[in-house]
Amino acid sequence: MAVMPEIKKPDEELGLLGELSKRFRQNMQTYTIILALIGIWVFFAVLTKGSFLSAQNFSNLFRQMTVTSFLAIGMVLVIVTAGIDLSVGKAAGFVSVMVAFLQARFWVQTIPIENPIVMAILSVIIGIIIGVIFGALQGSIIAYLRVPPFIVTLGGLFIARGLILWRTEGKTIPANQVGFDYIAQGYLPDLVGWIIAALVVVFLFFSMFTGRQRKRQYGVDVPNFAYDILLTSFFSALVLVYVFVVNQYKGVQVPVALLAVASVIMSYVASNTRFGRYTYAIGGNREAARLSGINIKKTLFMVYTVMGLLVGVGGVVLASYVGYGTIAAGEGYELDAIASAILGGTSPTGGSGTIFGALIGALIMSSLTTGLQMLNVQPYVQYLVKGVVLVLAVLLDVAFKKGKA
Amino acid sequence: MSDDIILDIRNVTKTFPGVVALNDVSMQIKRGEIHGLCGENGAGKSTLMKILSGVYPYGTYEGTILYDGMELKLQEGSIQQAMKEGIAIVYQELTLVPNMTVGENVYLGKEPTEGGLINWNKVYSDTRKILAKYKLDVAPQVLVKELGVGKMQMVEIAKALSENAKILILDEPTSALNEAEIEKLMEILETLKSHGVTCIYISHKLNEFFRITDTVTVLRDGKAIISKPTSELTQEDLVRYMVGREMKERFPKRERHPGEVIFEVKNLHATDPADPSRKVLKGVNLQLRKGEILGIAGLMGSGRTELVTTIFGEYGKITEGSIVLEGKELKINSAHEAMLQGISLVPEDRKRQGLVLMQTIVKNVSLPNLDKFAAFFRINSAAEYSAASQQAKNLAIKAPNLDVEAETLSGGNQQKVVIAKWLLSNPKVLIMDDPTRGIDVGAKFEIYKLMNELAEKGVSIIMISSDLEEVLGMSDRIMVMCGGVSSPTLELEEATREYIMKLATGVA
Repeated sequence: MAVMPEIKKPDEELGLLGELSKRFRQNMQTYTIILALIGIWVFFAVLTKGSFLSAQNFSNLFRQMTVTSFLAIGMVLVIVTAGIDLSVGKAAGFVSVMVAFLQARFWVQTIPIENPIVMAILSVIIGIIIGVIFGALQGSIIAYLRVPPFIVTLGGLFIARGLILWRTEGKTIPANQVGFDYIAQGYLPDLVGWIIAALVVVFLFFSMFTGRQRKRQYGVDVPNFAYDILLTSFFSALVLVYVFVVNQYKGVQVPVALLAVASVIMSYVASNTRFGRYTYAIGGNREAARLSGINIKKTLFMVYTVMGLLVGVGGVVLASYVGYGTIAAGEGYELDAIASAILGGTSPTGGSGTIFGALIGALIMSSLTTGLQMLNVQPYVQYLVKGVVLVLAVLLDVAFKKGKA
Repeated sequence: MSDDIILDIRNVTKTFPGVVALNDVSMQIKRGEIHGLCGENGAGKSTLMKILSGVYPYGTYEGTILYDGMELKLQEGSIQQAMKEGIAIVYQELTLVPNMTVGENVYLGKEPTEGGLINWNKVYSDTRKILAKYKLDVAPQVLVKELGVGKMQMVEIAKALSENAKILILDEPTSALNEAEIEKLMEILETLKSHGVTCIYISHKLNEFFRITDTVTVLRDGKAIISKPTSELTQEDLVRYMVGREMKERFPKRERHPGEVIFEVKNLHATDPADPSRKVLKGVNLQLRKGEILGIAGLMGSGRTELVTTIFGEYGKITEGSIVLEGKELKINSAHEAMLQGISLVPEDRKRQGLVLMQTIVKNVSLPNLDKFAAFFRINSAAEYSAASQQAKNLAIKAPNLDVEAETLSGGNQQKVVIAKWLLSNPKVLIMDDPTRGIDVGAKFEIYKLMNELAEKGVSIIMISSDLEEVLGMSDRIMVMCGGVSSPTLELEEATREYIMKLATGVA
């Protein structure tokens, strides 16, 4: 252990550049994957002569990533506890099949409900509940009966597959109630998009100022003001540019808006609630967490239940996106979700990872798929590229950490 | 050269970004001697050892190292190369594979093969030879997990010696050993010396230098302060060289005025939760008064750690007896319940049990106390920061800021973070399990001062310690554990080193 220099400079004195370089060093990993994403976009934009970044393609790119993204943001917490959930793809598939089944058969044949909107809403609610129950069951076996998550969720994967076969009887079920398609295929009117964007910007600045205020009140060092302004303006600009671009096509995509809401909530839960903190502490050092009075079983149970909730939401969006419940529903989505989380910097050994990172990870995966498709690259190459990128990303991360130590 | 120098370190400087870890260090180690190396945490001992073992390869530092008259040029990541050259290290943390036998561990990574297959007979016969040569009392075919810490240390040494080491570096070998095991280790070192092996002996326990070493070098702030024959030095000299100032007392003075009994353990019996037939506590009694420090001495395996973790609701299943706080009998089933009652535990192993190393200081300090900062769902992070920085100030935690990860701190500062986290819960009874293990003299003194302040404020402290002088120096009264049974509590006047050792070894 080297001598620790005792520099205790208040952050105000660092200045904007100092603050920027400090933050950059702290969040190296996040910035690296953002740069990687931009690099990939530039690469495809050049090779497709700009059409990769056309409003239509850009809009589709985001819409395509939503289902696996719902799974990926839940997967972050699961992997943070040093666990894994292999069942999410097929479980979401089962939810989508059930949502389709309810709409196509159940409400019509068993409990006659006339209004199609009510049918759709009830189907969605039940779909989400199925996801939660699935997650809670797995969670209780993992947390209270102490069966390793790999085994429990591998079993869950088989069971979900079986349930899909049972429900579909090998056939395709349409999910076509009026209004249901709006969930994954709808677009917000331009004006609504702008209003939401404006509200987000106002909220970002408001929370920045109240945050600084509260820090001052408690006598905690306040970050450099110019830095805070710059950061908040940057995120505001991102939101505005995004809305501007998608409004060139059809407007803000409903599933993307849903994903954004879910991500913000999950980020908040991860960093600002006891449950979130406990999750990270358990992943970082289970023994220390236990001796700190944390109820490990309850926290693990909740992590898998929250995962189930997101499986429910993802399944509903899937049904609406495809318009059917099929046998193949959700096949392989768990792998995309895990890859997105890992690509986004979640440590496979637990303890660290962010929701934001997982979203960037999902965006990278989806960009690769779309870009390579546009270049008419054969499907097998797409898988090869994705595999190489995933391993390369983790390799770079390992190299970075080694360089730092 | 008049003396036979095996290792000649000349003007070695090693810098990390922003930090000079070694500053123009020169020292000479004679063939066949036991050379003590001491210094506070962060003085540069580990850096020097990492250079000698090839963790920091040739070219990443300035200066030269002559080994047997030749310049030592180790390649990147060449621990194997260092071992071939005859330089072997026994690290502070044990590096054995528990599910393998002693022989498998000793030859791990260098198994003798015959036509591509491992020659197990040779592994075990050679292991037996090494063990016998250096009088290490372990059987080659036992699984390592079945051994005690002291025996594991022997296996570590055997593993290091299996390549015909000329220099053996021991990094704080006694930090996890009890008195009897330390005695045994000292004998082993004498045997090694008689076989001509040169030892570099790093330790925080100063008295060990006088028991075993021929020469002592003191490092401070990356510089070699002095190198002298041990016979010309005293403990006070060493402390003075290490801290660079006169330290009059190892243990700070304190007004002692304990109040009435607030915490009591009566005839406590408990069993191992994993194996209900194994009794770990067989009748423990203790009384703790308000504002006193009760020292608990005892060897490893005496049940001392089991006692405190059982009180804390995290270990043994209580079969008989009771725990009473302020006249009320407690039924504690988890750490959380213990905290609610006002009992805190600073655990034995700060890295494994005390800290989430990859998390920041703030998050570590607030972890058991989040209920305080959470309204409904939300954690008030400003309040959390302010409480943590208050604690950091009170405990004088040295860190660039509170957002650095706990793993980047020195041992003493890590321990302060663990203490901070438990003080934030305002305990009535603070249990500290070996609170100064593996930390340097300066940080120890600060922790002693802090314990005194707490006691003066009325906190009752139970302190387990492996260091007898610490027990005698810090406690108001002393209890000794042996075989899961407590001794009667001793007043300071009746507690002597010898008497405590007798109680701990079951002689008295």
